[in-house]
Amino acid sequence: MKKYFLVAKNTWDEMLTYRLNFTMWRLRGIISLVSIYFLWLAVIPNNGSVFGYNRSLILTYILGSSLVNSIIVSSRSYIIGDEINQGNLSNFLIRPINYLMYWFAKDLGDKAMNILFSIFELLILFLILRPPFFLQTNISYLIPFFISIFLALFLNFFFNLLLGFIGFWSPEVWAPRFIFFMIESFLAGAYFPLDILPKPIFAVFQLLPFGYSLYFPLKVYLGQLSLTQIYFGLLISIVWVFGLLLIAQFVWTKGLKVYTAWGK
Amino acid sequence: MSISKYLKVWSIMTFYTAQIALQSRFGAVMFIIGKLLRFSFFLFFLLILGFKTKAIAGYSLWQMIFFFATFNLIDTLAQFFLREVYRFRTYVVNGFLDFILTKPFPPLLRSLFGGSDILDVPLIFISIAFVIIAASHIGQITLFGILIYNLLIFNAFFIALAFHIFVLSVGVLTTEIDNTLFLYRDLTQMGRIPVDVYQEPLRGLITFFIPVGIMITFPAKALMGALSLEGIFISFLIGGLLFYFSLKLWHFALKHYASVSS
Repeated sequence: MKKYFLVAKNTWDEMLTYRLNFTMWRLRGIISLVSIYFLWLAVIPNNGSVFGYNRSLILTYILGSSLVNSIIVSSRSYIIGDEINQGNLSNFLIRPINYLMYWFAKDLGDKAMNILFSIFELLILFLILRPPFFLQTNISYLIPFFISIFLALFLNFFFNLLLGFIGFWSPEVWAPRFIFFMIESFLAGAYFPLDILPKPIFAVFQLLPFGYSLYFPLKVYLGQLSLTQIYFGLLISIVWVFGLLLIAQFVWTKGLKVYTAWGK
Repeated sequence: MSISKYLKVWSIMTFYTAQIALQSRFGAVMFIIGKLLRFSFFLFFLLILGFKTKAIAGYSLWQMIFFFATFNLIDTLAQFFLREVYRFRTYVVNGFLDFILTKPFPPLLRSLFGGSDILDVPLIFISIAFVIIAASHIGQITLFGILIYNLLIFNAFFIALAFHIFVLSVGVLTTEIDNTLFLYRDLTQMGRIPVDVYQEPLRGLITFFIPVGIMITFPAKALMGALSLEGIFISFLIGGLLFYFSLKLWHFALKHYASVSS
């Protein structure tokens, strides 16, 4: 495991190589957050509520989605497609290292840095904006919240892997990724809580994996789900995680059979 | 070199860039769909908010759509014409910038307009259509308003141009471009909604210091007849000043270009 720890540690160094770029990247996150925060602030009146959410709940959802996003969406494994297309995968195949574990370790390094900086940035924003934040103290919500984050982390890792594996069959790896994340951010609830949608649409969204990476963990945190709903949501997450794991393993095996180290 | 020759060089470079973009039809279609989805999802978000709240920061739903369509028009126009900036870092890192500098064509123009992105064309037309549809629902629009709107859109493009020149200069000085460019994109995205929505001091900051408000909110307000003459004057003044200082920075960056990659 030590080698994977070193991979994660090296990811930190890689990310800090270009300091200006890194600073700009962090600033980007803050700007996106501030933008959506003020929009909701303008939408929801001081003592009123919209879509069943009062100011405190919706702003907690928005700020929480920023932190959860930094944990779940941040990734290094987006390079896999290029690695396959450029033939660099060969370098890994002859090394005593598990390729998938290697990228998982890199992702964890990336996420660790994101969490650290996001907490720091959110604290500063809290001090400046002083939003009415909902602090969950009930342990029976906090435990499933952390479990759902843990599952969401795997969900997104497998999505990234599968998108990267497109490189085995096509040089066009960025366009599918672009369109996928466009759809994912919407269906995950990055724009708004999904339960404000009409019920039939929301019912379909509940069966898809996307909502379990953002909307579901945040709803659990807000304490707006019953225990049955939480267990049901966690069950669907687990099914998707194992389903995607099996699909990823299948695609990886099939991909290796057609891999020709083209580009090297 | 005359303007017509510059246009000819631009059209040739755009033709070749379009050929590259369309090399993979699948990729081109996916990117266009992705851009349209991004547009549709935010529009859907605005519609949901509009139906439930009737007015956001005092603006009606159609006015909000008009602000969003104006944002898209300016943003997509800038992306269409200035796509070459996204490729500039590679030129600095692999030494290709040296080649650009030795050519009898202004390196700044080459670095800015070296190939427009044909994949942005559908969204430009859609943005224009939404601008017209939303404007027709707002009412009380005068010919003067339309004239000022168009002039301020032109001014917004100049401000976008200044930002891109700034990004190029940072690229020459530091070889770091990607996130600076996307920071600009994120900043302008704050203009998807009128800057009045933001609270002070942020509102003042993104209106005048980082002139997202001047770029996007002001043209839309001018059409609605809600922008003062001072506002119009300040818009052009800031646009001109930003463009002037961005050129100064570009010349400064070129003087300090070390050509280490050549």
